[in-house]
Amino acid sequence: MNLPGLAVRNIYRNPVRLALTVAGVAVALLTFVTLRTAVMSWDEAKNYTLKDRLVTRHKVTFVMDLPKNYADDVRDLKGADGKPLIRASTFLNWFGGKDPAHENDFFATIAADHTTFLTVYDEIKIPDDQLKAFNETRNGAVVGDLLAAKFNWKVGDNVTLESPIFGARENGEPWAFKIVGLYSTTSKAVDRLTFYFRWDYMNDGVRAEAKDRVGWIASRSVDAARAAEVTAAIDKRFDDADTQTLAQDEATFFQGFMGMVSSVLAIMSYLSYIILAILGLILANAISMSVRERTNEYASMKAIGFRAKTLASLILTESTLIALAGAIPGVILSYLIVDVALGDFLEYNLANFFPVFRVKFWTYAEAVAAATVIGLFAGIVPALTVARLNVVENLRRVA
Amino acid sequence: MIPYQYNLRSIWVRRVTAIITVLGVALVTAVLAAALMLAAGVKKSVSVGGQDDVAIIMRAGATGELESGVDESAVGLVLSQPGLAQENGKPIGGGEIVVVVALDKLGAIGFSNVNMRGYSDQSLKLRPNLKLVEGALPKPGTDEAMVGRGILGRFKGLTLGDQISVRKNRPLRIVGVFEDGGSGAESEIWADVVTVRAAFGRQSGVSVVRARLASAGGIEAFRAVIESDKRLGLKVKSEPDFLAAQSEGLSKFLTIMGFIVSLFFSLGAIIGATITMHAAVAHRTREIGTLRALGFSRYAILMGFLMEALVMTVTGGAIGLLAALALSSTKISMMNPATWSELVFALAPSTQAFVTAGLFSVGMGLLGGFLPAVRASRISPLAALRS
Amino acid sequence: MSAEQSKSVGSAISIKGVVKEFTRGGQTLRVLDSLDLHVPEGSFEALMGPSGSGKSTLLNLIAGLDKPTSGEITVAGARLDKMSDAEITAWRAANVGIVFQSYNLLPVLTALENVELPLLLHKMTSAERKKRAQIALDIVGLSDRMGHYPRMLSGGQEQRVAIARAIVNDPKVIIGDEPTGDLDRNSADEILKLFEQLNRELGKTIIMVTHDPEAAERATVIRRLNKGVLA
Repeated sequence: MNLPGLAVRNIYRNPVRLALTVAGVAVALLTFVTLRTAVMSWDEAKNYTLKDRLVTRHKVTFVMDLPKNYADDVRDLKGADGKPLIRASTFLNWFGGKDPAHENDFFATIAADHTTFLTVYDEIKIPDDQLKAFNETRNGAVVGDLLAAKFNWKVGDNVTLESPIFGARENGEPWAFKIVGLYSTTSKAVDRLTFYFRWDYMNDGVRAEAKDRVGWIASRSVDAARAAEVTAAIDKRFDDADTQTLAQDEATFFQGFMGMVSSVLAIMSYLSYIILAILGLILANAISMSVRERTNEYASMKAIGFRAKTLASLILTESTLIALAGAIPGVILSYLIVDVALGDFLEYNLANFFPVFRVKFWTYAEAVAAATVIGLFAGIVPALTVARLNVVENLRRVA
Repeated sequence: MIPYQYNLRSIWVRRVTAIITVLGVALVTAVLAAALMLAAGVKKSVSVGGQDDVAIIMRAGATGELESGVDESAVGLVLSQPGLAQENGKPIGGGEIVVVVALDKLGAIGFSNVNMRGYSDQSLKLRPNLKLVEGALPKPGTDEAMVGRGILGRFKGLTLGDQISVRKNRPLRIVGVFEDGGSGAESEIWADVVTVRAAFGRQSGVSVVRARLASAGGIEAFRAVIESDKRLGLKVKSEPDFLAAQSEGLSKFLTIMGFIVSLFFSLGAIIGATITMHAAVAHRTREIGTLRALGFSRYAILMGFLMEALVMTVTGGAIGLLAALALSSTKISMMNPATWSELVFALAPSTQAFVTAGLFSVGMGLLGGFLPAVRASRISPLAALRS
Repeated sequence: MSAEQSKSVGSAISIKGVVKEFTRGGQTLRVLDSLDLHVPEGSFEALMGPSGSGKSTLLNLIAGLDKPTSGEITVAGARLDKMSDAEITAWRAANVGIVFQSYNLLPVLTALENVELPLLLHKMTSAERKKRAQIALDIVGLSDRMGHYPRMLSGGQEQRVAIARAIVNDPKVIIGDEPTGDLDRNSADEILKLFEQLNRELGKTIIMVTHDPEAAERATVIRRLNKGVLA
């Protein structure tokens, strides 16, 4: 028997309270891990972006498009030395399509130049025969395998979409597509929930003033290390034109996008601190109650000759151990619920918002460390109380 | 019934743990109340000032102004329909164009979208609450703009005298700051409709047409006329209906998030209450036995301990509500998915938010106190005789 | 501590002119009034007196649990009135064994572990700790109950474990605060027999407070305290 051993035995003394405290700590840490992961997943998603992939868009607003010849200009851009700066380039349009059969389900619909699209987004994998069909079918579409599974779409299906942005086709017919392929991806930089179709089919159908306009241009620079130089060169190319551009590498573009969600992320951050405060309250409650019940034991230990410091460290050991006892199931619970269950669900169904939703090792470490430190702090007041305990009065109370 | 003083004193005896429990409940209640106040704030700010007799005419499939487009030719047609209020023999109403501009945030990384509205003098007639608080109204036909008070200073360029660029060598100069009774317009940049159309190459039409009806009740007849003409492909909404739809997504999101988070948070508070009550019961086995021996029923004991738990959580709830109330002037800037643009709004205290969060704290007390109370009620009168 | 070493050789407890006052609700209460007491080494003394006579206060002062308002207290050669709290705590761990009325065993520890507890304050191997605790339990006649928890023991047995705990450090002085107060006649007799044995065979100085005349009879000296003054 030793003092840590005594601390451990004291923990098991009140099984109901121990179970409640452990459950409380575990749930609090689960909540903490969920919130932290939601915040971090945005940061994490940035790691999948490519530094050599550049996005060129209208300088002022995403609702405005660019003349199609800009795409050619970007593709042919040369450096001061006369060597090409871009090794691949494509152009895309946001179609804003909605499937009347799935009115309330949002999914991205993008018109992409089928001849160049896969050279820029080489993470997208389409079987050869389906790619051939895509090249041969003007109204062909390739759909993310996860989206297809969600809507039960198969190769060969015909799908009609509506677009509030472009209205009906110029000839009055509906936007009718034929699904000719399903794609998967080799990286999380591209989601598997998008409906891609041929840009030329879109261009056929839009009204005269919207023809030959592209939403944005996506390119691959010759060298990831020269991203800043190349994007500057693109913007300079159009600086004197009526429509100016903003070219950014994918990582910077993503970073900028964070501005749209920053307040939500900030709120989640605050909440993750509040749950730690609640965790502290649970632990403080449990430990102060235990110590209070054992006042006379501590008094008699003091009478025997135990020093205030020894008793205080006994209590701090106990409170820290309780916190750890809750942290372990908390981490296991977080792994099962957040990493496995929630992670799969979100990555498959909400990849547009959470392309990656996995708990980082550091988040677990943060959770355990937070619980340990809070456990230690929760024990401070009871430990001080016992250290200052008046032996005479508390022994009297017992007798 | 057991005299309530008995349970109140018991709380006092265990005041440290009781205070801790009260604080836990206060935190949870404050979080829930704040979330509901956020949701109410979105609703309030988006829908404030909606007038029953103002109709919004937009493209049939569009859910917001940004998506919508109305051809120039259709604008005149719409405004010539019967049922609109007239002034000097002309209908009150006109086209407005809505675009978003991406601006760098001040005090946060990245950019976000800000609504820019091209307006005419007709637009001002349809917004009686809108008034200039600083600077001057933009002169028609110039590159002048005014900015809503909510968004002022939150983005780069959005301060009086500063400018934002929309086109090469054609910056919009901010010459005025306006308020509109706290409405969503306070999160917008307003410039002359002609200027905005030119800057964004939208000469062919506007986003929506706003018009004042001769009477609020006339909307059905007006709608029937507009919507029956399939070639126009337009729909008519009353302003309050339209605005309600604009806030629905975000306020629903905030409400649901608030409940989910609070539910998880409340588990901690409930466990805290259970720990406290459990100890209270365990310590008073003999007392409870005595009460039973004196003739108090199991039910009386159960209720007594439930009341004890409720007193704690309701106190915590009250403190939490006060804390949330203290947040009520706080302004939050958030992207509204319905408009794709930043909306600045204040946390709005609402009866519904307070009643809901208050009931939540009662629920925490009932859940946290129930098991210990049941345990107390099962204590035998014989316990009085044992030491 | 050597500076406080007393000259009064041959006396286990030496108290000179001790005054103890308590302040309650603005009123000062003199519990002990210029008290002198001399307990020779190897004495077994009973301290009696009505409630409020100050006998528990006196005992607390001897155990170093409390400090006098004025006066000198020398116990086992140490001037308690001149020592700091930390010094007294360390001194107590080595020189005094206390037996409480309500035993005050830790419920989570076995009989053996409860006896081992004070040894944790001293540097020794766990094997040695265990051995010494076994010897102490053997002395009190409970070597067959070593693995039992307090709740599995009778009151008399619990008190014997407490006595084993009090003697495990081999202190010179044992202090009993109503050690038989919670026990029936038979158990009380056993405890008192144990005290006699510790006094006679191991030469321990014992001072105990008691209400029980029969218990007091077992002591070699009976002192009566009344209103803070020894009769």
